Amino acid sequence: MISLKAYLFVSMILMVTGLVVMISRKNIVAILLGIELILNSAALNFVAYSKYAANNLDGHIFSLFIIVIAAAEAAVGLAIVIRFFQVKETIHIDEASELREELTR
Amino acid sequence: MTINLLTNLSFYIPEMIAIVTMCSLLFMETAYANNERRRTFVYVTGFIGMLLCLFSLYKNLGIDSQGIFANAVVIDSFSTMMKMTMVIGTLGTFYISHKSIDIYDELKSEYLIMAVGVLVGGMLLASSNNMLTLYLGVETLSILSYVMTSLKRRDHLSSEAGIKYALYGGVTAGIMLFGMSHLYGLFGSIQFPDIIAGIKALEGFNIAVILSLLMFFVGIGYKIACFPFHMWSPDVYQGSPVPVTAFFSIVPKIAGIAVVARVTYSFFGTENMTTQVWNSMIAVIAALTMTVGNLSALNQKSVKRMLAFSSIGHVGLILIGVLTFGGKGMSSILFYTLIYTFMTLVAFFVTTMIVNRTGSDDAIYFRGLAKTHPILGVSMLIALFSLAGLPPFGGFIAKFNIISSAVGQGLYTLSVIAAINSVISLVYYLKLARTMVFDDADGEAKIESYSLASRVYVIGMVIPIIFLGLFWNNIYHLYSSAKIYLN
Repeated sequence: MISLKAYLFVSMILMVTGLVVMISRKNIVAILLGIELILNSAALNFVAYSKYAANNLDGHIFSLFIIVIAAAEAAVGLAIVIRFFQVKETIHIDEASELREELTR
Repeated sequence: MTINLLTNLSFYIPEMIAIVTMCSLLFMETAYANNERRRTFVYVTGFIGMLLCLFSLYKNLGIDSQGIFANAVVIDSFSTMMKMTMVIGTLGTFYISHKSIDIYDELKSEYLIMAVGVLVGGMLLASSNNMLTLYLGVETLSILSYVMTSLKRRDHLSSEAGIKYALYGGVTAGIMLFGMSHLYGLFGSIQFPDIIAGIKALEGFNIAVILSLLMFFVGIGYKIACFPFHMWSPDVYQGSPVPVTAFFSIVPKIAGIAVVARVTYSFFGTENMTTQVWNSMIAVIAALTMTVGNLSALNQKSVKRMLAFSSIGHVGLILIGVLTFGGKGMSSILFYTLIYTFMTLVAFFVTTMIVNRTGSDDAIYFRGLAKTHPILGVSMLIALFSLAGLPPFGGFIAKFNIISSAVGQGLYTLSVIAAINSVISLVYYLKLARTMVFDDADGEAKIESYSLASRVYVIGMVIPIIFLGLFWNNIYHLYSSAKIYLN
């Protein structure tokens, strides 16, 4: 049987991959994919803990909610990316640099 | 069990009213969005819905503290009072959105829908008693906020702010969930009471628990924009339409503060290592949040950005109240958030008027406002003095209560830092005040959208600032009687 450690290891790798994608990729859609990886790592953790550590179904319910909300967040995120593309004609994150500090004197 | 859950609904009337208001606004929006005259009807519906919500919250004040829906949500007077402040803030921004040209006419009713939606999320967050409701509250708040930020279509800054907000928000929510999942694994339950019992039983320095709690804090800390997670806030505030900025600095922040206060007070009631780590973390974050916020606000050109940094500074002060929650902290937080709501509404309403005239929120466009538009100018002056914490106004009483509660609990270093920060904040508030009073206006620029109703609104928002500064005893006593539900 697969142990709890194996699940936690996989979810850790997912989490770190997500963070690395967030930091290194310049494409906004790729960054959204990184966020999905982080959310999924948490969902995997919940299911694994639900089976091994806690004897209740809280974790299963929680991961279902995470899946639904991740979908909603991706939908809104992509809609905003489309809006961004319409005004700037690019989805490169470095182009999002118009908001910056302007100091007096 | 089913019957039990249904009877619980009777304690949940305010939220249900808000949800029904949101749905009816949605239907009306589809019918009336393109009709100039009938849009007033949408506003009236939103207004009446919020007033009903406020009234039913007031009725809920008398109910004994209890957990409902299988203890997933708590109804106690602390959360009810926080929700009342949130509803007042939402109502205030309704009028600002009505006046602002930043929100296009055909999108005004959409603003109302999403504002009420965020309010529902905030209410859920303020009374959450397990990690699932907390997460749902945070996400309801966040997802609608991303849309509100990029509400100004065809605008570079607004869509850029939306992107930044959505990306930061997504990753912090993910880290918070990761922390929550480990807390679930460690304590075997997502219910707060079980986690509280688990933390009480801890001995020594448990690195797993502390790391999970830190990750858990990332998500909430992001919502209230405290120090390490505050960098999104000025960008998003500057890019969003002004009414949305006003809304963001009131409702999501108050909801976040309510949940930080609840978590800090209920999780860390006993003296052990974990409590000490958490409390010292909050103390350091409070000090750094205040200092960084106020120092960064000093030389900002954009008034929206300045108000963003100043609201970061205010959150730092409120976090001191969170630390002293068991003592006078609870009543001072409640009082501070109420006053803060009114001050912010006035400041942003005046900014809206300036943006309507000039299309920019640069501080130089405030020149001579007190001479050309006396009521608007004097109201803004009062709001600024009150934000800075000068004596006759409500802001002074609010700051005084927070600092006195800190002194009462022996947090002398934090009180000194808070006092120093008040002085720093005075610099940039008075700088704007000087621009408004002593500089000459450029020409006879009249603000077109400044009507009689606007005068009534701005005076109506200024009266509580003055009134609560002079006769604060009654409301403070009401707030002192607030109770928080444990287990």
